[in-house]
Amino acid sequence: MALAKCPGCAAALPEESNFCPECGRALGDLERPRAAAQGNGWVEFVDKAWDFFASTRVAVVLIALLAVASILGSLVEQEHLYQDWRPPQLYYPDRYGAFWGNLYLRLGLTHAYTSTWYSTLVLMVVVSLIICSFHRLVPLHRMLTRPQVWKLPHFIRRQDVVHEAAGSIDEMEKKLKKRGYTVLRDRECLYADRGRLSRYGPYIIHIGLLLVAFSAVGKAVPAWNQTRDVWIQDGQTVKVPDTDFAITNHKFTMELYTTGMPTRFATDASIIRDGEEVKRQTIEVNKPMSHEGWEVYQTSWREEPGVARVKVTNQGGFPVANLAIDLRQPEQEYRITDQVKMAIVAYYHDFTLDPQTKAPANASFEIRNPVIMADFIDQKGETVGRAALMVLSKESSYFTGPYALSVENVDTRWYTALKLHKDKTVPWMYFGLGVVMLGMMITFFLFHWQVWVREEQGKLLVGARAYKNKFGLKQDLKRLLGIVDGEVSISA
Amino acid sequence: MTQEMLIAASAWLLGLAFVGYLASTLLYGAGVIGGRISHGARFAKTGGWATNAHLAGVVFHFLAILARWQGAGHWPTSNMYEFIGFMAFTSMLAFQVIIRMYRLNVLGALVGPVGVFLMAYSYVFPPKIQPLVPALKSYWLPLHVSMAALGEGFFAVAFGAALLYLLRVRGLELAAQEREQVTVAAAGGGGGVMAGGSVAASNWEQKWGTRGLEVLFYAVAVMVGFTILALVFRYSGFQWLFPNSTYHLPPIIGPQGAPIGDKGYLLGFIPMPLFDAPTWMRGKHMNTMLYSLVFGGFLYWAVRRFIAKGQPIGDVLARKVSGDPELLDEISYRAVAIGYPVFTLGGLIFAMLWAKEAWGDYWFWDPKETWALIAWLVYSVYLHVRITHGWEGRRSAWIAVLGFGVILFTLIGVNLLIVGVHSYAGGDM
Repeated sequence: MALAKCPGCAAALPEESNFCPECGRALGDLERPRAAAQGNGWVEFVDKAWDFFASTRVAVVLIALLAVASILGSLVEQEHLYQDWRPPQLYYPDRYGAFWGNLYLRLGLTHAYTSTWYSTLVLMVVVSLIICSFHRLVPLHRMLTRPQVWKLPHFIRRQDVVHEAAGSIDEMEKKLKKRGYTVLRDRECLYADRGRLSRYGPYIIHIGLLLVAFSAVGKAVPAWNQTRDVWIQDGQTVKVPDTDFAITNHKFTMELYTTGMPTRFATDASIIRDGEEVKRQTIEVNKPMSHEGWEVYQTSWREEPGVARVKVTNQGGFPVANLAIDLRQPEQEYRITDQVKMAIVAYYHDFTLDPQTKAPANASFEIRNPVIMADFIDQKGETVGRAALMVLSKESSYFTGPYALSVENVDTRWYTALKLHKDKTVPWMYFGLGVVMLGMMITFFLFHWQVWVREEQGKLLVGARAYKNKFGLKQDLKRLLGIVDGEVSISA
Repeated sequence: MTQEMLIAASAWLLGLAFVGYLASTLLYGAGVIGGRISHGARFAKTGGWATNAHLAGVVFHFLAILARWQGAGHWPTSNMYEFIGFMAFTSMLAFQVIIRMYRLNVLGALVGPVGVFLMAYSYVFPPKIQPLVPALKSYWLPLHVSMAALGEGFFAVAFGAALLYLLRVRGLELAAQEREQVTVAAAGGGGGVMAGGSVAASNWEQKWGTRGLEVLFYAVAVMVGFTILALVFRYSGFQWLFPNSTYHLPPIIGPQGAPIGDKGYLLGFIPMPLFDAPTWMRGKHMNTMLYSLVFGGFLYWAVRRFIAKGQPIGDVLARKVSGDPELLDEISYRAVAIGYPVFTLGGLIFAMLWAKEAWGDYWFWDPKETWALIAWLVYSVYLHVRITHGWEGRRSAWIAVLGFGVILFTLIGVNLLIVGVHSYAGGDM
């Protein structure tokens, strides 16, 4: 049974054609009869599924659905983006109200892009992309590499650009070859084309997109996509968990605008392996450091009261000692004079009175309100005096006995926050993106032009078609045939 | 030259660019209408003058960008004011490319106003130069943003051409209907029933296409209304202070938790605020949106009532548009065919490379990048619909129109309505 008509040019189509022999239109989305599957359910199913995914209309609908599904996730704050310490089950009901919050959680809208429905849609798009491409690429390739050279005059006259001139076909062949056309001959007819690659462009884009999709899915494999977060204080070295190296923060620096906004922050860091420095580099925003597949990023910083410079004075107000007390971890004893030492009785990094027991306690894990309680002990082991010091409030020092404490200043201790990321899918992703871009250049900036020439009684009949850029083809043929602008011999 | 002088020079050059665009829009319009009235006998050269005036505008605009770049010390695409201005520039640049390929003056009469509007809209945001946060200090700032904006510029031209196509097709349809009515009237009652029936049954696409155009014009009116309101109230100095936000428009919708009627009465009887915003949206933005919708509605009504004489605006315009619909479709496609690869490179690929370098991962599903992906998907749909038998023509043109709407939402709506890593300073109105 012959198919009715080509949707592009309405020419009658021979059986089993994938491209219209007249205009070259791809017919992949047309229904065609198939050998009956004779009751084999599986074959019927596969046939039906193939036909479904091979349809451009289905592809269009799937892409549109993916776009709509993507909107949903952008309207609800996503789990990996919100800035709160609470887990999703607590955060969302509070953020959107109990009803909506729980509904979003239930529907997976809080992690829309890793949800089942989104993944299913992406999978369907990928399947459609593979089948659509395969369904059209094979016949397209056949049509481009084995075209019908011999054509009847009425076919040539129907093309976009038609011209009749005197001349011989051999001469024409030479001219076309010189202009970079690929020429095929069949008796008194000639077929020439250039920019054929352009027709493969969409399929190159599709291959690139498949690579992109597979790389993106590959991120789900834990070993291929690892992250570590480390906080390192100035001068310290921290081992990166589950790796064979450590990172030293030699110094964290920050520069500010006059408004107080940071203009630049950076860490002078080293990678240490087996006790030896492997690499040293300044890491800053937009300038990560690489080490064996790991990228080390500057993400944040923290400052806290570091070392308190404490002055000890005697009854006459004369200084007897200067102490450096580390507020993260004070020593147990400090030497005051040869006879007297100061013993830390109690240290609270964030002093508060427990509301129930009224006993001193720490309010948090951070150094916010450090309080030192110390005894002064002489050589005989007897307590000669006592002092309590609230390090960050200037006037609050209490003492009995001969010695008093006062804070000269408190050094700030800087921590740098570094993020380590090892993503093995990145090279594949970039390669895929490169292929996509290459495919786009080929698709949109190359043009496929086809020319048919037929010699009849010493005259040439030329017909040409542009898949894109008809205007450029016309100019090209004018130059080729030596036609001066203004002659009305080329009709389009 | 000092930095202040450069920035002042930039403002003057921008003014000149604005004049150039405005002049070219008027010249294009005059050329098209004049040519029509005189049946092509006069106004033959007006289109050429318009293109030259437009080119002058583009050159001035480019110089203005260079001056601000030197004055500010960074590529001027770092806040909303700079970005919208830049986008106006790329749209006009894309228009220059397309108009030189196709020489279709009626396109200028439609795309020109888009550039003029974008430039006016940029002044809604504070034009102050802000220092760059560390994350923006990268060579990717000029690369990513300029490339993305260039692609979007071509999409703007595609939007203009697609809208013209829709109007032109509608115009042909109206002309056919009128012809049919004339023949029906001539043929008398018997044939009339049948012919009338065929028109009524002919399609819902026609009916919804007309309504769709009206919705589109209303949306345009809302955006124009928003710009007018924002500019008037920004420079009028009105303020209503709430604990976490400052309103420049009378607060009908207050921020969440604000006491009703706390700020007195609008026009003496509407308590301010009348009600409070829900949790999922900032009250200030919702308030501004309410005003824009109402004022836009008023503008639409005024145009339809007094200029279109009560007819649908689309139909009135459709009768004025001439040209070959196939050519308009071709122009729209060509603009997308250039814009799509450029946008893919600038808006998605460069964005991914930069994100990897700055934040440690190439994709975060941040609302801005998600919306860029949505826009890309919409244009992918456009390219596929255009080659699908039976869906080409009007349907693909509507997708080109929709695509530009998505682009605008990505650039403006996401900043105003959704908070994310891309929220620029000053994106607040």
